[in-house]
Amino acid sequence: MEKFVFFGGKGGVGKTTVSCAYALKCAEAGLDTLVVSTDPAHSTADVFDQAFDDDPSAVDGHEGLWAMEVDPDEEVERHMGEIRQRMNEQVSAAIVNEIDRQIELAHRTPGAYEAALFDRFVRVMRDEASSDASDSASGEGRPASSEARPEGAPRNERAVDAASGDYDRVVFDTSPTGGTLRLLALPEFLEGWIERLVAKRTKSVDLFEKAAVGGREARRKLDEDPLIAHLQGRKERFEFAGRTLREESAFFLVVNPDELSIRETERAVAEMAEQDLGVEGLVVNRVTPAPDDDERGRGATWLRDRVATERERIDEIRSEFDEPVVAEIESRVREVKGDLLAAVADDLAVDVDAASVEA
Amino acid sequence: MTDDGRPLARRIASFREWVEEWLHGLYHGMVEHPSFEKIEKEAEDVEDTFLFACFADAFGIPSPVSYYTVELLPYLAEEFEAWERRMWDRGSWLERKGQQYHVH
Repeated sequence: MEKFVFFGGKGGVGKTTVSCAYALKCAEAGLDTLVVSTDPAHSTADVFDQAFDDDPSAVDGHEGLWAMEVDPDEEVERHMGEIRQRMNEQVSAAIVNEIDRQIELAHRTPGAYEAALFDRFVRVMRDEASSDASDSASGEGRPASSEARPEGAPRNERAVDAASGDYDRVVFDTSPTGGTLRLLALPEFLEGWIERLVAKRTKSVDLFEKAAVGGREARRKLDEDPLIAHLQGRKERFEFAGRTLREESAFFLVVNPDELSIRETERAVAEMAEQDLGVEGLVVNRVTPAPDDDERGRGATWLRDRVATERERIDEIRSEFDEPVVAEIESRVREVKGDLLAAVADDLAVDVDAASVEA
Repeated sequence: MTDDGRPLARRIASFREWVEEWLHGLYHGMVEHPSFEKIEKEAEDVEDTFLFACFADAFGIPSPVSYYTVELLPYLAEEFEAWERRMWDRGSWLERKGQQYHVH
């Protein structure tokens, strides 16, 4: 099983529950696991009854399990602050004031939120999951990893390990289908864009060099142009993201046994195929439990009807999709948390593959 | 204090220096200067397009990458400021284009 596992799907199908259950299953199999929620409406905190923030923190009561909730607003602020600071170091105050409007503008555009989320995504994949995390691009430092880890947290000696970014598995609880798909499509799009920018810049710098005849100093030089260097760094990061998504990630879609959810999943599968991202399997969630045969009340009749309809839908899912159904999870009466989460985890026939555990 | 006191060779050498400087000046004025000016203007134009590609949103055209390109501002703050002024001021922009295409 790949290092990065993504759970996606329509809003409200239970992605958070499924991803948390899966993460728990991984942790119980002995893998150091990190759950990353990228949905702006975070609900991991509700599942584990514990508050999380932008840095990974250990989940109480579960060994080898960490969680974090990505906050794009924080990332946007951080990004803006970083640029302002570099501006102040390099440019006179008068110019900074002139340009501040542009900085502000760039961070308020609708795309900024997405870009920030994507950046954070990449940073998680790069830093939290590889011990050789190098930070060549744009000099952004990894935020100090959380000191919030409780003192007597279980498996503390491994926690140190994990803080240095050595999780065995990172589970992404993504935002509803549309947003995530756009996010996953970004690397390719941005790579192309940056390539064109680099070409343009190279051409102008080259011309500046050519214009410097008769021993004049060129106004700009190719091999010391900080812009090209910066853009290359960015491009490398996008390439890394694209590569990781294609080669080291597995995608699962959570689907409910109803028409709308199935249609949306069909579209998602098709779009992901276009991005060259294969969907590993489908998790059918919120399946209504059947009443016992001797139950005859109105409720039981209603349930029986409902179960029959859902059965049809599930059969439809099984026959129409090429992707295997890896789990059918029954609806629970109570919210899925605590012990129930473990029960849901047992329902998940998703491969955990403990073989990849080192040591 | 007069040249007469100097040996002939020195006088010829200084004359040659003077001629060389003038010739170079003439060459520079007739050939080098117009060409480097032209190439440099072309370079500036390409840079303008580059800036536009980076910061189209400064002119109300939404750009999905401005979040990333704004990272470049610390390196090209001055160019950006000048460029923005040029672009908003269409008069001077046209004049600039005119300058560039006039025949030397």
